[in-house]
Amino acid sequence: MSLDTNTNIIDKNEEFKPLIVAFCCNWCSYAGADLAGTSRLNYPANIKIIRVPCSCRVNINFVLRAFQNGADGVVIAGCHPGDCHYSTGNYHTRRRFSLITNLAEYVGVEKERFKVDWISAAEGNKFATVMNDILEDVYKLGPNKKLRDARWKI
Amino acid sequence: MENITKKIRAVAKQALINKEIDKILGWKKGDLWSESYPVFITKPEDADSLIWDSFCINNLSKYLIKELPKYDKIGIFIKGCDSTSFNQLLKDNRINRENVVLYGIPCEGMVDPEKVKKIMLNDRVTRVKKSENGFTLTNKNTSKDVLGEEIKYDKCLTCTSPNPVVYDQLLGDVVNNNVNREDRFKGVEEIESMTPDERYNFWKGEFQRCLRCNACRDICPACSCVKCVFDNSDAEISGKAKTEGEDTFFHIVRAYHVAGRCVDCGECARICPAGIPLDKLNRKIIKDINEVYGEFNAGLDSTTPAPLVTFKLEDADTFSKQGGK
Repeated sequence: MSLDTNTNIIDKNEEFKPLIVAFCCNWCSYAGADLAGTSRLNYPANIKIIRVPCSCRVNINFVLRAFQNGADGVVIAGCHPGDCHYSTGNYHTRRRFSLITNLAEYVGVEKERFKVDWISAAEGNKFATVMNDILEDVYKLGPNKKLRDARWKI
Repeated sequence: MENITKKIRAVAKQALINKEIDKILGWKKGDLWSESYPVFITKPEDADSLIWDSFCINNLSKYLIKELPKYDKIGIFIKGCDSTSFNQLLKDNRINRENVVLYGIPCEGMVDPEKVKKIMLNDRVTRVKKSENGFTLTNKNTSKDVLGEEIKYDKCLTCTSPNPVVYDQLLGDVVNNNVNREDRFKGVEEIESMTPDERYNFWKGEFQRCLRCNACRDICPACSCVKCVFDNSDAEISGKAKTEGEDTFFHIVRAYHVAGRCVDCGECARICPAGIPLDKLNRKIIKDINEVYGEFNAGLDSTTPAPLVTFKLEDADTFSKQGGK
C-alpha cells in the first residue's frame, strides 16, 4: 500500500458528517417522516429520529444533552398549532421553545443548529426539505464544539 | 434607619406578647459591621435584638416554606424585593397567605460590603452610617463620605420595586427611586450584540468558575421544588463532572426552570461565590417574554398566571417568521 492511498483513507474518514437529532411528535411529524419514506423522498441518513409522544414532551435537558453527546444540530418537530393530538401541547411547545431558541443563541449556540418546525402527517415533502435545509446549514457551520462534553468521543 | 429599628422592635414585641403571631422572622446584627443575619424570634424579650440597617440583604420569605408547617402564624419583615418573592411563593402554592403577617419595609437599597472594602482597602472600616446624601464610612481615625451609588449592590441600583407590593402593615415612609424598568436589560443587550463565538467564550469564562455549590438555587425564591431535579439521582440530570458542558448545562437548566417565575431580585448573582452574573441569564428570559408575549413582571401580584403555564391561540414565536397557524 502506498503512502498516497493511506492519506486518502484518512481524508475520507475525517470528512465532516453532521449528526442531527430530530425529536418528532408521534402523531404528526413521525408520520410525516414515514410518508417521506414511503414516498421515496430523499432525506439524509445523518438524521437520527427520536419519537416523542408530543413535541411538548421535549425538555430543555434533551436538547442540551444531545449537543453534549455529539449532535451537530437538533430539530424539534410537532403538529401545527391547533392540530395537537392532546389539544394544547404544541401551544406550550411554541412558548417554551421560543424562549429556549433565544437562550441557546444567547449562550453562543448558532441559531442554525437548532430548529423548531411544524410538520404534519401529510407533509412528507416538508419533512424532507426541513431536514435537508438544517443539514446544509450545519454542514456550512462545521462540527459543533460548543456545549460538548469533553469525555465524549465519536 | 434607627426609627425603623425602633418600630420593628416595638411591633415584634407587641405582636408576640399579644400572641398574634407565634414566631417572627427578622434580622439581627452579627459580629462584624457588614453582617446582618436572619433571626427567628419566639420570645418577646428577644425582640430587642432585631435591627434594620443597610446590610439586611437576606430575603426572609423563602424561610417560610420550612417554618410555616411548624407554626400557626408567623410574622415576617419584608423589603420590596422580598415581597415579590412572597407573591411568587403564594402563586406556586408553597405558602398560605392566612398564616403570615407581613410587615413591609420600604428599602433604599442595601450596601455591598465588598464595594466598601474596595474603597477603604486595609483601612479596617468599623462603621457604615447613612448620611444625608449617601453614606459615611468610619474607621479608627478617619471617616469618608461616599455616594450611595458607589457602595450599593448592583442589583439595588436597578431595583424596580423598592416598596413592598404586598403587606399588612407598612413601617416607614414610601421610597421613590426613579429607575427605568428597561435599564436592567443593558447588560443583556451588551451580550446580545456579540457574535456567537464571543458569546460562547464569554459564558464559558464565567461558567468555568462555577463550583456547583447550588447556592444560586438555594437562595432563589422561585426555586422552591420539594425535590430539585439536580438532587434527584434517578432523573440522571445532575452530571457531577467538572466539564465545560456540564457547567453550561446546569446554568441553562437553572435559568430556564425559573423562566416566567423569576422575580428579578438578583439574589442568585449576589450570592454566587464565584461572581457569575447569573442575573444576565434570567434577565434575557424576562426580556424575551416581555418582547414576545407582552410585559410581564413576576411577583407583582399572586394571581396572574405565569407566561409559560398559559398560551394564546395567536401567539407569536421566535423560530419562524409567521409564528405558526
